[in-house]
Formats: sequence, C-alpha cells, structure tokens
Amino acid sequence: MTEIIIKLKNLNWLFIFLVSFLSFVGLVMIYSATFGEESKIFISHIYKVTFGFILMILVSLIDVEFWKKNAYLFYFIGIVLLLWVTFYGYLGKGARRWINFYGLNFQPSEIMKIFLIISLAKFFDEKKFQESRDYFFLFLPILIVTIPFLLVLIQPDLGTAMLILFVSIVIFFVSGINWKFFALSGLLSLIVTPYLWGGLKEYQKQRILTLFNPENDPLGSGYHIIQSQIAIGSGGTFGKGWTKGTQSHLDFLPEKHTDFIFSMLGEEFGFLGTLSVIGLICLITYITYHITSSFIHNNFNRIVGYGIITNFFFASLINMSMVIGILPIVGLPLPLVSYGGSSMLTYFIGFGIILSLDRGSNYS
Amino acid sequence: MSREVNFEKKIKRRALILGLSKTFFTFLVFGKLFYLQILQKSKYGKLSDTNRIKLKIVYPERGIIFDLYDKPIASNRIDYQLSIFKDKKNLVYDYVKKLRGHINFSEMDLESIKSNSNEQDLSDFITIKRNLSWNELEFFEFMKNKFPFLIITKEKVRNYENDLIFSHVLGYVGFKKNVTKKKLSNLKVGIAGVEKKLDSKLLGKDGWIKFETDSKGAVKKELNKKYAVPGGNIKTNLISEIQNKASEEMRGIRGAVVMINCQNGGVNCLYSSPSFNNNEFSDGVSLKKWNKLLADEFNPLLNRCIAGLYSPGSTYKLVTALHAIENQKFNKNKKFLCSGHVSFGNRKFHCWKKEGHGYVNLHEAIEKSCDCYFYNLAKTVNIDDLAKFSNLFSYGQRTGIDIPNELKGIMPDRKWKIKNRNEKWQKGETLNTVIGQGFMLSTPLQITLMTARIATGKKIIPTIITNKKEFENLNISNENLEFIKSSMFSVVNSSTGTAFNSKLRGNYKMAGKTGTSQVRRISLEEREDGVIKNEELNYKLRDHSIFTCFAPFDKPKYSLSVIAEHMGSGSKVAAPIAKRIMELALNKY
Repeated sequence: MTEIIIKLKNLNWLFIFLVSFLSFVGLVMIYSATFGEESKIFISHIYKVTFGFILMILVSLIDVEFWKKNAYLFYFIGIVLLLWVTFYGYLGKGARRWINFYGLNFQPSEIMKIFLIISLAKFFDEKKFQESRDYFFLFLPILIVTIPFLLVLIQPDLGTAMLILFVSIVIFFVSGINWKFFALSGLLSLIVTPYLWGGLKEYQKQRILTLFNPENDPLGSGYHIIQSQIAIGSGGTFGKGWTKGTQSHLDFLPEKHTDFIFSMLGEEFGFLGTLSVIGLICLITYITYHITSSFIHNNFNRIVGYGIITNFFFASLINMSMVIGILPIVGLPLPLVSYGGSSMLTYFIGFGIILSLDRGSNYS
Repeated sequence: MSREVNFEKKIKRRALILGLSKTFFTFLVFGKLFYLQILQKSKYGKLSDTNRIKLKIVYPERGIIFDLYDKPIASNRIDYQLSIFKDKKNLVYDYVKKLRGHINFSEMDLESIKSNSNEQDLSDFITIKRNLSWNELEFFEFMKNKFPFLIITKEKVRNYENDLIFSHVLGYVGFKKNVTKKKLSNLKVGIAGVEKKLDSKLLGKDGWIKFETDSKGAVKKELNKKYAVPGGNIKTNLISEIQNKASEEMRGIRGAVVMINCQNGGVNCLYSSPSFNNNEFSDGVSLKKWNKLLADEFNPLLNRCIAGLYSPGSTYKLVTALHAIENQKFNKNKKFLCSGHVSFGNRKFHCWKKEGHGYVNLHEAIEKSCDCYFYNLAKTVNIDDLAKFSNLFSYGQRTGIDIPNELKGIMPDRKWKIKNRNEKWQKGETLNTVIGQGFMLSTPLQITLMTARIATGKKIIPTIITNKKEFENLNISNENLEFIKSSMFSVVNSSTGTAFNSKLRGNYKMAGKTGTSQVRRISLEEREDGVIKNEELNYKLRDHSIFTCFAPFDKPKYSLSVIAEHMGSGSKVAAPIAKRIMELALNKY
C-alpha cells in the first residue's frame, strides 16, 4: 500500500495537470456543442473523462516491464478484435468500426495503435538489428504493421489507417534503421499508390480531391471545409464567446462535437483559444520528449515514448489541419477534446504509460 | 564502443529530426490559423453572417386617402402572404405541387412566382402566394412543419372602400413595369389618378427584419428590425356620398359627372362611367381581363372627366355671349329673328328648333338656346379673339387639375386650322364654333370649370387634394357676368327655359345651361327629309346630352356638369341627373 502511495507521489503531476486541462477544454467545448440540445452526450462525456482519468492513473502505476512482457499477447488480442469487427462489427456511417460491448460501443482500431506501438518497440528492442544490414530481417515488423493497417483500411477508416502507417514509419525511424530502408520504401509506395488509390471508396477519393479545391463543390464534400473555415475565421482574435458560435449552433458546422470540435473552439474562443490548445499540445509533447530522450540505452522505453506521443501529436495536428483545410477530411477526432470514448480512453492509457515511463526515468 | 556512441548520436539526430518536423507542422497549422482568424477575419465574419442572417423587406403601409369629410376612401387591408427562402427557390415548384390541393395557386400566381424568382432584389424571400384565405392560413399553420422554408407574413396592401366609384379619380396601385434590377420587387406604386400623382407622399419608407436562420433555413429568431415608415395620409375634396350618387345616377349611362366647389376649386365629384374595379387592379389583374377591358368598346379605363372629349354644344354659348357683350360692345337687347335657319354664304345653318324661336334677344337666346341668334352674332365675331377669350374659361388648355393624363381639348382658331388641317379658316366655321360644335372639343371638367368661373368671376383652379387658395379675378365686368348668370337662371327657372323641368325643389335656386353635343353632321338631304329623331338613330350616332349648372344662384357654391353619351338633348337626361345630384349636395353639405 505504501508502495502505491510512493508511486503516486512520484508521478509527474505537471504532466497530469496538462492532460487534464486538455480534457477540460474538451468538456467545455462539448457542453457548448450540445448546449440547448440533449445533455445526454455531455453527461456521458463526463463519465468517460472521469473513467479515462482513473484509467490513466492506474496504468501509470503499472511498471513498463508488464507491457514489454505481454506486448505480443496484446497485439494478438487486438488483431482478433479487429477481425471480429470486420465481420460482426456494428455498422455506422458506412463503415464497420464498432463492437457493441454490453451497450457500449467500442472501437478496437484505437486501442490497436497502443498495442502496435509496444509490439514494434518490443521487436526493435530485442533484435539489435540496427547493426545489421539485413533487410529481410525487417519482414516481421512490416508484417506487424501491415495486418492492422489493412484491417482498419477495409473498415473503411482511412484516417486511423493512415495514422497507424505514419506512427509506424516514425517508430522505424527512431529505432535507428538505415535510411536506405526509407528510400526503398518510398520508392515502393510510389509504385503501390496508384493501386491503393484504385482501392479507395468513391467518397474517400472525393474527400481527398475536394481538399485541393473546396469551392468547386460547395454543397457537396467541399461544404464541410468551407463552413469549418468560416467558423474558425469568423471567430477572429477573441472569438464569439462560449456557446455563442453561430456557425456551430445554427448547424452550419457539421459534426461539431466530434471531428469538427476544433472549428467550434476557433469560432467561440478565437485565435487565442486555438493558439492555447496548440500550445497545450506542444507542451505535453515537449515534456514527453524530455522523458523519452533520457532512455538512450533503453530502446523499448524510448520507442514506446516516441510512438505514443507521435500518435497523440499527429492525431491532433492532422485533425486541426483537416478542419482548417490543409489536409483532406478523413475522419479523425481531436485527442482528448472530441467526443468519443474509444479514442479518449486510448489516449489516457497512452499517457498512463508515459507517466509510468517517467516514474522509471532518471530525469527529474 | 565507438559503435555504441555512433548509434547514440544517430538516435539523438533522429529524435531531433522528428522534433523539428513536428515544429514545422505546428508552424504550418499556426500560420493557417493566423491567416484565417487574424488576416481574413472580416471576410469570414461576413460569410458567417450571410450564412445565418436573412433579410426580409417590410413594405410600408400606403398613406390613407380621405374624402372631404374624413371618410377613408382608400385604406389598407391585411394580406397574408406565403414566402419562400430565396436559397431554396429550387424547391418552389415541388412545394406548389404539394400544397396545390389545399392552397389555390392561380395561373397568375404561378406567373408571378416565375418572375419573382428571377428578381435580384434585396430580400432573401420570394413571395409565392398573396391573399391567403382563412382556410388556407389554417391549413398552413397545421402543416408548416412539413415546409420548413416557407414563412407566412402579414402585409398591408391597398384596399379601396368601394370597388368602382373612385376608380378613375384615385387610380390604383401596381408593380413597376419594365424596371430591371428592382431593389424592392414587391413594392406597389401608384399607376394612375391620385395614387400616381401623389405617389411619393403616399409611398412611405420600407423597413426590414433580420432573421437568424439555421443551416436548414428554419427561422430561429428575429435579430433586429427597422420599422417601415407608413406613407403620408391625404385629404381630398371628394365627397363620397356625391360620388356615390353620381355612380347611381349614371348606372347604364356612359358619360361623366364633375362637381367643383366654386369657393375653393375643390373637386367634390369626378365620376366617369362606365367604371372598373380598382381593387381588382391593385391585386393584380390578369392579362385576359386586362385585354378584355382594353377591347371594351365603351372604354371603361378612360377617365372621361378629364380625358373624354366632347363638343361642348350649347353650353359654350355662354362664353360666346359673354365675349360679345364684354369685348365687342354687343347690345344685349338686340333682337334677331329666328326662323329656324340662317343662311351664310352658300350654306344654311339650322336652329335645333325647326320652326324657329321668332324674335329673341340675347337673354332669351340663352334661355331657349336659340342657335340662329348666335349664328347672327357670329358674323361679327373674330375667331381668334373668341379663342383667346375662351382660354380664360380653360377651353383649349389644361385646367391643371392634380391628377395625371388630363387632355386639353381643342379650341380652334386660324392658327390651329392651318397647323392641323392645313387650310384657311372659313367664316362659316365660326358659326359652328360659337354654338360649341365643329372642331371644338372639351372635357367635362373644362365645362364645369367654365360654369364655376362664370359663377364667381374668378379664375378657379380645380384641385382634388385639399389646399386653400386665393384665385385671381377674371377681369370681366360684373354687370356682364350678372347678365349671363341671370340668363342661366332663366334656363332653369323660367317656364320657357330649356331646363325648366329640372328646377330645384325647395329654397335653393339653380342656374344652368343645357347642351347637345352632335356626334354627326346632319346632311342637307336629311334636313329636307326631316331630321331623323335621335331615338331612331343607331346608338353610336346619337347626340350627347350635356348640362352644366351652379347653385345656389345668389351665392354660388357648387358648379356641376353632367354628360350622358348618346342620350339626346341636354334637357332630357343630363339636366335631371344634375338636378338630383345638386339637390343632394345642397341639402346635405
């Protein structure tokens, strides 16, 4: 018992505060998004945040060794869940992404990202292949990435699939494998891309195409981007005020409590609001970097740290880029802010692991 | 060991590259946010406002028009209208189809939907149906959830208290035609009559309502509004009851009734028959109906009072006689023999009384309306002088009445003849002119004004809108005016007068003059065969019956003229009508 108290004492409470603050921003925004409508969503979000917070603390108490030891087991469970969802998943918005678990909808692709990160970390930790030039050796980690990537892609969930791919590439990168590998992969993907493009669903193609010219089709797929930009732009420096956003409250902004919550934040809190959230995300990322960079000789810890924070950071920035019109709209929530349990719980678990890494680090 | 160090370096370098790429990404997002929220704030702010704010123009209520006794004769009624969001105008035909069973869309409505939806005006709404009935309103209230882009608005539209009796004088309202890029496509303006003349005063100033709507076009709330300023009210000199009486008297008769107040020039009655329904016109008359009215041989759209041209006939003798005694030193006691005709040149000029009036003086000649006397008098008349003198009584000139489209008629003289007929004036034509026939044409208003000016000796100007005005003197000797007036008195009150049958009952005395406006020239052969009686003639060739009068004789208040087309002599139809109207006016007002 005293051991637990000591562990709790040693937690990085600044980090916990920052993460909680970001969740608080989410609460504030979801309150506004559902303001005047049903409060069910807001209440449910409160439960999820609370549950997520507790989960983060619990995970932070678990030693990193536990994850290292069971990495492949979790990976296996994740794949089974993904397969399950592929065949028996609950259908929503044209995609099979959810498992209905005693009334709770659960999205296995989210938690799969964590399992993938620890599995890759374990792989690169055990095999000191970086000294070897044997590319055949990379067959296994590529397979580890490809299976969940394809399973998520066919759901179809382009956003999560791309994120999985992206985070995996970063892990390959920070694990220190030869740069020639990336050159070769780049070449390969250039060859493969046309085939992948052919495999995309029509609406996914449309989304990517409208990015380049949203005004082309103002009432079709471009509508979301235009309305989102109007929401953010009209917020100006200080915003229209909490719950006063006209774009969001008059339903010009789509999906305002999920993917487009950042647009609503921009409308109601202006440039100061968006800047603060970016600042918060950067701060969380920076602290994690600090923690992670201390593990020069612990490949597993280092790769897990970079993997988790990269997942968080890029998910955030890609979501923002989507709603401000830099990247196509692929359907990614804003971590910890958007409504959606599976994604939030995954990020809390991730932060729990980072806290646990922090406990074991020799910095601070 | 060095390998270990190298690896460490490599790891650090890669972490740095990762960190830098994240920083770069962050700045990219930051830059775009700065662009959207700081640099382009006003652009996006406006876009968000156009998204949510919809403008509805509120049309002003037209000013009310009152009669002389403050009775409203043109006011406004509430009109419930159905409008659709301009953004959703592609839905309009679908909606019309769905609503058709319950809301009656006429062909005209469909026509106006078509033209309205192409308007580029300020409003964000398009009116698709006016004049909703209570049943239609009730139905829509019940069903409105199914039609989220439709709204019902309450507008005030022009309504005339009586469909027919004021149509010519007040005119009507309608949409401006042939105007491209209208700012206010639903604004009705005065098209004719008082409505047109005083449009700027009656119109008022439009306002607007800004609605906040959601993305589906449903109205969430009213943001703010600018009230429309109603148009100014107008008081006229018209008297409803007289106007109404005139319309009753003229039922089945085509012609005009004009009554002027001799003291202030106020037009108390201006009725042209047949009339049209100006409420129907203001609501928008269908093309079919419009064409039918245009093709109507009795021309109901013509305001005969100011634009109907008639020979003044014997009523003009008053001016001829006044001219003779005032300007030609003509001895009014001079007698001429009337044998039924006068020879002049190689032509015979006939009196209306075939057997002649015998020896008559000027007074008797007016009283009995002897044509021969005036033929003889005419021999000394210079037509140019007479024409100039007639101008004093507004013949050949516009009276300046305050409604549009007045005609000035014809007061012929030598110059006119050369210009219009390219011929020299014939002396014989003077003989026709002095009895108000020949080339001469006048409006009923001119005839009434003549009487009013004789009765008062003042240059009265007729006005429909009330205003107090001093009139200048005509500079005609009182004695001569009194002589003419006394002759007019005899016309009505002497047993030998042409209008003795229309003598007023009661204490008031009326003075007047009958007239018969020839529609055709009676040919010589016809004279020899005996002039065909009016009753036997084809309707359109029959003479017009004219009577002009003023009363009370000693203190003239009203001057009145009645013209009844194709009804024969003035004494028979026009005079009795005038009598009844005058009696009403004198007894009640």
